[in-house]
Amino acid sequence: MNCEQAKTQMLGGTIPGENQGEEFAAHLASCETCRTESSRIGALWQSLDLLPVEEPSGKVRERFYEMLGAYRQGQASVTMPVKQAWPRMIWQVAAAAALLAVGLGIGYGVREDRSRPELVQLREEVASMRQLVALSLMQQQSASDRLRGVSWSYQVEPSDEEVMNQLVTTVNHDPNVNVRLAAVDALRPFTGSPATHLMARNAVIQALPKQTTPIVQVALIDFLAELKERNAAPELRRMVSDPDIDSGVRKRAEWALERMQ
Amino acid sequence: MMKRIVVGMGLAALAAAQPQPGAEGRQQLTMHFRDPSMPRKLVVEGGTGSLTIRGYQGQDAIIEYTGREISGANGRGRGRRNEPPAGMHRIGESRGLDITEEDNTVRVNSQGIFGGTARDMVIQVPAQTSVNVKTMFGGSMTIENISGDIEAENFNGQVTITNASGSVVAHSMNGKILVSLDRVAPDKSMSFSTFNGDIDVTLPADTKARFKMRTDFGDIFTDFDVKMEANAAPVVEESKDKNGKTRRRVRVDGTQSGTINGGGPEMQFTTFNGRILIHKK
Repeated sequence: MNCEQAKTQMLGGTIPGENQGEEFAAHLASCETCRTESSRIGALWQSLDLLPVEEPSGKVRERFYEMLGAYRQGQASVTMPVKQAWPRMIWQVAAAAALLAVGLGIGYGVREDRSRPELVQLREEVASMRQLVALSLMQQQSASDRLRGVSWSYQVEPSDEEVMNQLVTTVNHDPNVNVRLAAVDALRPFTGSPATHLMARNAVIQALPKQTTPIVQVALIDFLAELKERNAAPELRRMVSDPDIDSGVRKRAEWALERMQ
Repeated sequence: MMKRIVVGMGLAALAAAQPQPGAEGRQQLTMHFRDPSMPRKLVVEGGTGSLTIRGYQGQDAIIEYTGREISGANGRGRGRRNEPPAGMHRIGESRGLDITEEDNTVRVNSQGIFGGTARDMVIQVPAQTSVNVKTMFGGSMTIENISGDIEAENFNGQVTITNASGSVVAHSMNGKILVSLDRVAPDKSMSFSTFNGDIDVTLPADTKARFKMRTDFGDIFTDFDVKMEANAAPVVEESKDKNGKTRRRVRVDGTQSGTINGGGPEMQFTTFNGRILIHKK
């Protein structure tokens, strides 16, 4: 065996002293360089073994099902009867055609300008940077930092699902009342975007029964009333007759039901 | 490595942190922050009496507490057994108090939610410590001279924060929020909220911030020169009453925003049934 072959065997993870071929052993005995190399790599394999196996946190499952639930609800509301869908489809086709025309026009207009693609790229980079800042701040230890993350979310595109999902997680799970409250407000722009409005609406409906803090309950109720979201009516009616819920909140739920009619 | 002091069921404590009986019924415990050069944090959970957290010039967390009898329905009739016999004073009690230190975070966990004694607690920490306090059944909460980040949450009592110079995020369900900041960190977001109380915040005159304010049944007052941003248009609501008549109501709804000194990080003020007062220092 030559040095080249011996090295291959070492990289395969063979630890000297167990299961080594006779040839390999013979080579090691004769070659000083390979001997040092072999013990070095052996130590590396051993220390790699010592690394703890990363376990996903328990929240991962919860968040996944939450997202799945929101997605399913969104899908369910999308599949509407064909009759109803027609006028909307015509509008969508018309809008697509108009956009195409505008796009062609702009494309023609800026054809000569070579700096534009860079501008577009720059704009995309700024957008992804804002997303990154918002997402990472929202996962910080300090409530003040998480609040900053929530205010950053106003600067991303309202079609940004990742940021919207993080805001929903914050509304449902953040340990701090004030951060949850700010996140409810920050969901507003997402209910105005065609890409996310169904998911955002469903997320707000689903958040209401999970909330036990009166001030956040009121913020969610006001939001649903503003959206005239009738799918929330059963939960609102349940709240009105639940004696465990704060009387101010119950009155608010009653008011919201009245306003939705 | 974690250090832990448990007080309760008689008295059990580490030799390093023996409770020292001070004045009558008063206990004092000291817990070291492991690494004075690293950021420190104090977390307090639970508690049945009043709570004061005070920044001081030292290096340790010093926890002092006194038990006092709650009269009435909360007392669960422990009766005479709880009275100190003639000539004696209380040096220990059965309500658990758990104090731990881990990674420069000192955690004070005070159980005994429905017990017969309320525990009034005073905790001193170095001024540059982040403080996170949460109680459901406690009384008033006071935090003084802290220059770290403050997070405070109370249920029935008032939250008072004075001489703060870091950031404040505070909530009370039924109490007032009274905050005075000596200095405001330039890049910190803050938030003050209460369901049934007033919010009264004093800020340095040169604070740069963007206010977001919302009160449902109160007014907003300030002596700052606030540049208001355009409000949401008034909402006209129509509804039918029992006799089928149309009822109309105009609501100026939603959050009001404005900036001081050219704007800066966001400060949110939210109350349902109270007023918002923002003072200039």
